[in-house]
Amino acid sequence: MNVEITGLTRRFGTVKAVAGVDLQAGPGVFGLLGPNGAGKTSLLRMMATAMPPSSGGLRLLGRDPGSYGPRREIRRRLGYLPQNPGYYPGFTVAEYVEYFALLKEVPPARIRVAVAAAIDRVELGDRRKTRLRTLSGGMLRRAGIAQAIVNEPELLLLDEPTAGLDPEQRVAFRALLRDLGQRATVVVSTHLVEDVAAACAQVALMDRGRIVFHGTPDGLAARGDGGHSGDTPIERGYSAVLAQTRS
Amino acid sequence: MIGARLVWLYAVGRRVPFAVSAMAVCAAGLRIALLGHWDAYGALQLPLIFEAAAAVCVAATAASPFGEPERVAGPWLPFLRLAVTAALTAAAIGLLAAAGTGGHLSGGTLDVLRNVAGMTGIGLLCAAGLGGGLAWTGPTGYLVAAVYALYTQWHPPGLTTPWLWPARPPHDLGGALCAGSVFICGLAVVTARGARDPGAPAST
Repeated sequence: MNVEITGLTRRFGTVKAVAGVDLQAGPGVFGLLGPNGAGKTSLLRMMATAMPPSSGGLRLLGRDPGSYGPRREIRRRLGYLPQNPGYYPGFTVAEYVEYFALLKEVPPARIRVAVAAAIDRVELGDRRKTRLRTLSGGMLRRAGIAQAIVNEPELLLLDEPTAGLDPEQRVAFRALLRDLGQRATVVVSTHLVEDVAAACAQVALMDRGRIVFHGTPDGLAARGDGGHSGDTPIERGYSAVLAQTRS
Repeated sequence: MIGARLVWLYAVGRRVPFAVSAMAVCAAGLRIALLGHWDAYGALQLPLIFEAAAAVCVAATAASPFGEPERVAGPWLPFLRLAVTAALTAAAIGLLAAAGTGGHLSGGTLDVLRNVAGMTGIGLLCAAGLGGGLAWTGPTGYLVAAVYALYTQWHPPGLTTPWLWPARPPHDLGGALCAGSVFICGLAVVTARGARDPGAPAST
């Protein structure tokens, strides 16, 4: 298992953003669903080693990120795109991705190829030398995805990766996710239930810091019925599970 | 070669070339100011303004535009922060000292070294605590206090604490120790944690 989480908790003052989560994930695309404030981003940030847990167990790629040596190894094999990544507007797309390749210790001989491959995979090949300040929001998002995958990560964490992408790009991105999930663990946090249905083999639904459903997208869809809001079976399942949890 | 490329991209991403240009402008401003015939207040207080401005230039480069993806991207970031910040501080001191060479720079190079290092330390601490965008607040506030301390040299009771090092003589050990300690603290905190990322909770 690339991700092993037991009883993970994160507090901010008196608020429990993540309240005793247990989760395991191997290779494949794993969807993390939930309403605003459910704790998805906090859970993802702990998995990205950007924030330490308050308590509980966390093992990533078979290592404990709590100590320096294993954390360094995890970070070398990790890809992370947060909800609001930052960009230096004067960088070109290639410079931006190259900077992250260098930071992630991609072998020097492979950097040029790895940067080109990552940019091509997000379909920004023709914008390689374009400055980030001139890109649209969706293109910036794709550049962010390129930096996350430039080191061919074994664990890829994406927070709202399809925000700002047009429908065509979202479809292409789902295909990219499925491709990446062939050999890596890809955890995608999103509000967009249809992205999960299309790309994820496993899904967890979070509410108030807890996982209230863990299974397949089909399993989540099966929980819904006509009495709950949603245009698709999985949206109705999502609403049904949340309603049941809160009742 | 790869290391040089990483340092270059890191420096460009933090607007280091712009900071160096701004520091050169500070040095030129100091040089022009030293051409004038100032009374004791001006001779002591004017260089301090340019020293504080140069310190702000250094501290402002602690801010990262890249956020969390950079923080979790690998082990080199603390070394990059340390090397670039130390080099920029040395450049600021060198530029201002060069600007003062041959002019009537009160306190000489030792004063420049102590004042720039100390105020850079304050700026770095502000960057770590408040964010890179507010790194200027500490050196600016300290500048006001230091200018007042210099003023009290002629209007007793004088402020003589070594923590207000610009009001101490250049060879004063207490002032040098205080300025050096603040610089080392600022550099250590920024090396380990970087500038605070506004809106993000503490990172590892």
